[in-house]
Amino acid sequence: MITLYDYELSGNCYKVRLLLQLLGIPFERKEIDFHPGHEHQSSWFLALNPLGQLPVIDDAGWILRDAQAILVYLAGRYDRTQRWCPREDAAGLATIVAWLSFADALSGSAGRARLHDTLFFAADIEECRRAAHRAFRVLDEHLWFAEQEGGDWICRGAAPTIADIACFPSVMLSEEGGISRLPYPAIRRWTERVKRLEGFVTMPGIF
Amino acid sequence: MSRIESILWDDWHVVAEIARLRRQGRMTTTLLGESLRLRRDANDGRIEVDRKRAAADGSVYQPVGAVELRYGFVWVCLGTPVRPIVDFAECAEPKRLTASAGSVRVAVSGLRAVENFLDLSHLAFVHAGYLGEQPHTEIHPYTVEPLAHGGIIATGCRVYQPKASPVAAAGFDVDYIYSVLRPYIVVLYKANPIEPRRKDMIALFVQPVSEETCVAHILTCYLPHDADPHAIRRFQQFIFGQDRPILENQLPKRLPLSPRAEFSVRADKSSAAYRRYLAAAGVRYGAIAEA
Amino acid sequence: MDRWFAVARSEEVRQGHVFQSALFGQEMAVWRAQSGGVNAWENRCPHRGVRLSIGEQIGDELRCRYHGWRFATGTGQCTYMPAHPTQKPGAALCATVYRSSERYGYVWASLQPREDAPLLPLPEPGTTLRGVYVDAPAESVGERLLLGYGLDGERRLCVRRLDPYLLIGEPRSVRSTGDASADAMEAATSEAAAAPVLFLLQPLDSRATVIHACIAAAISAAERLAVLRAHNTRLLAIRAAVEQAP
Repeated sequence: MITLYDYELSGNCYKVRLLLQLLGIPFERKEIDFHPGHEHQSSWFLALNPLGQLPVIDDAGWILRDAQAILVYLAGRYDRTQRWCPREDAAGLATIVAWLSFADALSGSAGRARLHDTLFFAADIEECRRAAHRAFRVLDEHLWFAEQEGGDWICRGAAPTIADIACFPSVMLSEEGGISRLPYPAIRRWTERVKRLEGFVTMPGIF
Repeated sequence: MSRIESILWDDWHVVAEIARLRRQGRMTTTLLGESLRLRRDANDGRIEVDRKRAAADGSVYQPVGAVELRYGFVWVCLGTPVRPIVDFAECAEPKRLTASAGSVRVAVSGLRAVENFLDLSHLAFVHAGYLGEQPHTEIHPYTVEPLAHGGIIATGCRVYQPKASPVAAAGFDVDYIYSVLRPYIVVLYKANPIEPRRKDMIALFVQPVSEETCVAHILTCYLPHDADPHAIRRFQQFIFGQDRPILENQLPKRLPLSPRAEFSVRADKSSAAYRRYLAAAGVRYGAIAEA
Repeated sequence: MDRWFAVARSEEVRQGHVFQSALFGQEMAVWRAQSGGVNAWENRCPHRGVRLSIGEQIGDELRCRYHGWRFATGTGQCTYMPAHPTQKPGAALCATVYRSSERYGYVWASLQPREDAPLLPLPEPGTTLRGVYVDAPAESVGERLLLGYGLDGERRLCVRRLDPYLLIGEPRSVRSTGDASADAMEAATSEAAAAPVLFLLQPLDSRATVIHACIAAAISAAERLAVLRAHNTRLLAIRAAVEQAP
């Protein structure tokens, strides 16, 4: 059984929990006292992941860090439909990876703003918010035009991919970092489509 | 700029968790709009708090005299304390697990955060599956009385909870007592799942940062039955994490004290009493006074 | 304040979605009942002030996320309070309803409508374009639009005001300039790009505006995406110019 090193309020941990649930993969949560305990910086955790970051998975003894990498692994290894991360088409796969990078940048902007505003993490808060808004403008325009072609998801195709799962938490939790989604109607509609996925689970802050 | 009312200025407020200050050594925060600087001496563990004051040639930090450590938190009084820090006899009981569940910043008036803590009818919606569940949404009449030294107490509250605490193995009807002890301090007592005739205690010490932002410091004092301190803290963070986005979506951010501004129904008896208490006590900071 | 403003494209006010909008700093929850009617309400539950835009549309009712109170389409009347399931909510328990209407592909709302205030005449059928959110006051947006609409290298539309929040961009009358390449460029501009464009400014608050734009013409399915993209690019150029202005 997969072990997930996890913190309930982490958006990056949540995206892994979400995909695990959407794929119906059983897993065990090992809760890390991220706040206020800072357990992710303890020596035992650094031995597991020297970057001192969550999430981390342990699949039958094999350790993998990085939320985006974990999504790729879970989709590749456990998705029987092979729709969450289709790999046979190089262009399609590369597009997903581009959006995974985008999602990682969102963690650094919108996600960081949220950590600053809620849990007192250091950040250049104004720059984090500006960067988040720049990214949201790009995503809103992308999703709007996708809708015009009958597309519901970030990547072309009838089904969501891990690109949607990767971007969802930072977007959905953005207001906890002072980033309003009022100017992004296409993003707002997309978040509701994600919430309607079969097997969707919430976290505190997402309803 | 008008003076802040004495009921707040001359009272104790939590400004930090001791554990956080121990880890960081120093930190800054804001209380009632005043910038504070906290330092902990690594050698003797002494904690000093300074307040930024405007001076002719810039600003300067002056020591804050009234600083106390209690329940794992740093308490500060910016004026002259007229009352001692709130006392919880339960925290002195042997074998109880007393621990902070962390501090969370919320972009809303601290008075809204206190009122939400008192609220029963949101439990089945905001905390569905834990502190409440449909169809058990009906709130039966309960009693609210003023406290002798100010504040209010609500008794006879009862809610069906599928998972009342980390040690609850099954759902049951939980008896609650709520008490507002100061404008920004509220505590609840709820039946322990394993020993229902005794109560677990959760206190919310709200630090008014500004009129529209606060930090919620959570203190838990649980009976020891199988309770793992980490599980207690995670549970409280989980629950508060569900409350936070609701609080941050309340408009206006300050708490309106006029009964005509927002409608109360019978289930809101304690919140209506809380607003009356604040109005009668002359609390303006974080509130919108009655027109 | 007493006129109608476009607050959302009709297509964007869908079942199962509460559209968050605003006028002059007053937030609105715009939603469509199952029976089809649109609503534009103050974005604040009358109980404890929680935004109705984080609530859920269920049939012909909007449910508040905080305590589950339900409010009926049209009147905004509270119909159900889960804390008191058998009690009929008093008539005073009501969401604040703004006058709303739906025409020309938009949902319109007004904070203080005069009874006889007409909806502005717009072309029917027209094609609504993607609304662009600008971090600038409506006045600045209008001023920039008046300088002309169109990208470098293409024929710009002349923009004039019909009222403070409604502008129209129209092609100048075509004249030969004597410059063969310029004339060729004029001729090559597609018909759709030369169709008049109406700009409906929605003042979200004193610092932000939505530019709603629509073309006074129907567009073929084949051309549609290209036309939408081209106008989006032009509007983003307007936005960039307005936002970068000192």
